[in-house]
Amino acid sequence: MLWRPHHLIQVRTSFDFLSKRKLALVASTVINVLSLAGVFIFGLNFGIDFEGGIAIQVRAKQGTIHLEELRSTVGALHVGEVSLQEFGDASSALIRVQRQEGGTQCVANADNVLKRRAGNGWAVKPGAAGTGDVEFTAPSALDAVGWRDAVSRVGLTVQERQLPRGSVNTAKVEMTPEQRAEWCQQVAIKLVEDTIGNKYELRGTESVGPKIGDELMRNGVLAIVATLVAIAIYVWFRFEWQFGVGALVALLHDVISTVGLFVVLHLDFSLTALAALLTIAGYSINDTVVIFDRVRENMRRYKKMGLIELLNFSINETLARTLMTSGTMFVAVLALVLFGGPVLYSFSIAMLWGVFVGTYSSIWIASATLVYLNLRPEQLRQDEEKAEKAKA
Amino acid sequence: MLNLPRWQTIAVIVFTALAALFALPNVLPAAVLDHLPGWYQQSRINLGLDLRGGAHFLLEADLRSVLNERLANLSDSLRAEMRKQQVGLKDVTVEPGRAVVVTLRDEAQRAKALEAIRAVDPSLVVSGGGDTIRLAYSDQELFKKKKEVIDQSIEILRRRVDETGTIEPTIVRQGDDRILLQMPGIKDTTDLKRKINQTAKLTFHLVNEDVAQTGQNLPATLPPTTYLVPTREGMQELRRSNPKAWEEIQAANPRLSPEQICRRYQPQCLPVLKRVVVGGEDLDDAKATFEQQQGGRPIISFTFNTAGGRAFCNATRQNIGKRLAIQLDNEIISAPVVQSAICGGSGIITGTFTTQQTQEQALLLRSGALPATLSIIEERTVGADLGADAIQAGTTAAFVGTGLVILLMLTVYGPVFGGFASFAMLVNMLLVFAGMSILGASLTLPGIAGLVLTVGMSVDSNVLIYERVREEKANGRSAFSALATGYERALTAIIDSNLTALIAGVLLFGFGSGPIRGFATSLTLGLLTHLFTATIFTRMLLATWVRLRRPTELPI
Repeated sequence: MLWRPHHLIQVRTSFDFLSKRKLALVASTVINVLSLAGVFIFGLNFGIDFEGGIAIQVRAKQGTIHLEELRSTVGALHVGEVSLQEFGDASSALIRVQRQEGGTQCVANADNVLKRRAGNGWAVKPGAAGTGDVEFTAPSALDAVGWRDAVSRVGLTVQERQLPRGSVNTAKVEMTPEQRAEWCQQVAIKLVEDTIGNKYELRGTESVGPKIGDELMRNGVLAIVATLVAIAIYVWFRFEWQFGVGALVALLHDVISTVGLFVVLHLDFSLTALAALLTIAGYSINDTVVIFDRVRENMRRYKKMGLIELLNFSINETLARTLMTSGTMFVAVLALVLFGGPVLYSFSIAMLWGVFVGTYSSIWIASATLVYLNLRPEQLRQDEEKAEKAKA
Repeated sequence: MLNLPRWQTIAVIVFTALAALFALPNVLPAAVLDHLPGWYQQSRINLGLDLRGGAHFLLEADLRSVLNERLANLSDSLRAEMRKQQVGLKDVTVEPGRAVVVTLRDEAQRAKALEAIRAVDPSLVVSGGGDTIRLAYSDQELFKKKKEVIDQSIEILRRRVDETGTIEPTIVRQGDDRILLQMPGIKDTTDLKRKINQTAKLTFHLVNEDVAQTGQNLPATLPPTTYLVPTREGMQELRRSNPKAWEEIQAANPRLSPEQICRRYQPQCLPVLKRVVVGGEDLDDAKATFEQQQGGRPIISFTFNTAGGRAFCNATRQNIGKRLAIQLDNEIISAPVVQSAICGGSGIITGTFTTQQTQEQALLLRSGALPATLSIIEERTVGADLGADAIQAGTTAAFVGTGLVILLMLTVYGPVFGGFASFAMLVNMLLVFAGMSILGASLTLPGIAGLVLTVGMSVDSNVLIYERVREEKANGRSAFSALATGYERALTAIIDSNLTALIAGVLLFGFGSGPIRGFATSLTLGLLTHLFTATIFTRMLLATWVRLRRPTELPI
């Protein structure tokens, strides 16, 4: 034998975990309240997935990136709020532009882009107020195909039938205000591209319109709620209702405190962050269920033991396992944090926190909830006896 | 008992071998793969757009405008029909997005009016009383129409963005009114965006019957208003009889004009007037259907928008008995004879068609304009080098993560048990890869993260079992008994904890989109296959080890 196994815990431990339940309760409540308060006061740093807007990954063609210079260049483009961050290495950055609302400023931007791309004879003007209409002017008369090419220079995708027939030099494109708002994301991309294209290489572009952003947000919230409820119901069916509530409270704790982490570290809250929340829920419940399973088993075996003693005993029995699974998860996630690259960074950091908080909540939150809900071992046994009698 | 029945052992080995077989095409070189059957070649994991680079669009169809257009057409048809049936109308108005309201001059004519409405479209839902009649499409009909519009848009989009057939775009319907378009390997999207709403060149021309009556296929001189266009049948005939000529035409650069093709290769051609009667952009719909009377011959019915309908009405009224040629991209696909004035925006083409022919013709007619304007509501473009960076980062993280987990398992549980757990984990990864290959799933960067998490989670069950075995051993059980009991007792915890985690994975898949789906796919598959490796596969390993080694003490 090359080497002997190393026990993480040499002897059977007998920590009194639940004596600290009041402290844990206070600490967790404070953290959760602060997390929620943080969300309402400072707000989450929503990525474009939820807020809508534009994100462009750029790399300096030469040397390192000058964030300040880039910020002032893009900031002067009348495209609203712009945020920049270094992305991956010193020569790369992520430019984020707030979502475009489709007002007259956007039409002026389109005018700017068209003049730059096609020449000074061109113009774009907003149509009648209250509509999303846009009027294009060309230096010479164009046919339908010519018009289609012209409007596509500012990222507008319309059908020929919406453009004038025959040769004219003005074209009115009818749109609803919502359609114009979607188009305005395209205008902003073109504007930024044109302005910084000579110094920076554009490595990836993303744009999310106002409509889809709202939808993703709604779906995200729904997904979390549905997951938590579904898990709680499963646990309720497999165990007792107290266990279901315990699991739900622990999961809420994990999800809310993770959202708090996003506020504190100012991490990007995007679709991957949502995935992190759900994965943390899945991971945390995994831990909780292992402890619950042992509690259930011991409730049958040690009929005389009091609840707190029983819970402590079960947690101690499963402690080595809990630490070890957290350990394997921790090293796997650590690899993601260190090597996973900038795109996964927010996700990985959240997961790392999730490993800790999931383990903590399984012990102190989920189990302590059972104490507060007055789970009585006798009750379980009575229920089982009744069930057996009913069978017989 | 730890031992598995023999058939189960065999089943496990066969299952694992099959998984290896299905994961294999991912690593085989292309030269070897080419010699294997097609279904097997396809058992591969596709790289998602965020890894291979490309463009992703979510397009939204403007269905409201389509509906309004149809309602406007409907009101035109109603007016025409009422006039024919001599029903006096006070007014016909369109409620945008909902219905057409007809106001009668005389309430007494209501029954007659309803009859006329049934003649126009029997599926309309009629409501209202007195002198007003409100007409709307039923929910079923609306749903059908929406689906038609989206399906048709997808069909046209596919033809347009993949003219060369080499890009393999993904074009799928999403929800009620959206289309997802993914184009791998594309970085500059300007050209693509221009193509999205592009119209194929579909035009209606009158045939110059004066020239055609001479019976010559290629008249030496033509009036300046007329040009020659080859017919589709003529071109197909040419392709059969003279494939070389056909290839020459396709390869010609600059492209040959229709007239040049007629003169040079002499396929069957038709002299048509240059003036365009109606353009394809005004054609709303065309479909293969059957005649209501006279034995139900296969026919093609078509619908114009308001502008197109009016132009078509004028042209047909003045040219009854003449042929109207329908030209699509330099070929005449059909030249039916005008039987009567066609007003109200819709008409039919009759002839001696087979069902297949009418379907083909309708498809060709539809390939003109997109039925609804598509606007881009989400766009993500990833450069190929950015994708390469992501692959690099993802693979490094995956290998380091796997290495660290194996190291930890070996340290804590020793070379035998730690080794088994690591081996089971690697087999689990193999199963995930096989599952993704069979499903043809896309591997995205979040998907790689999902794989790394799966690595961390898949040793979980082994940890549960091993810790339980240690407990049983500490309770004084013999080696074999400790192993068997530990295994058995850990099982309920394994199943419950995995199933609860699975709930999160499945819901994530349901609600997520794009790359997140990739994450949910790998995570969910990992949990599922893990149930297999944790319960049966490791048990087989341990049982085999016990049988071969007959240990008196467990090195754990």
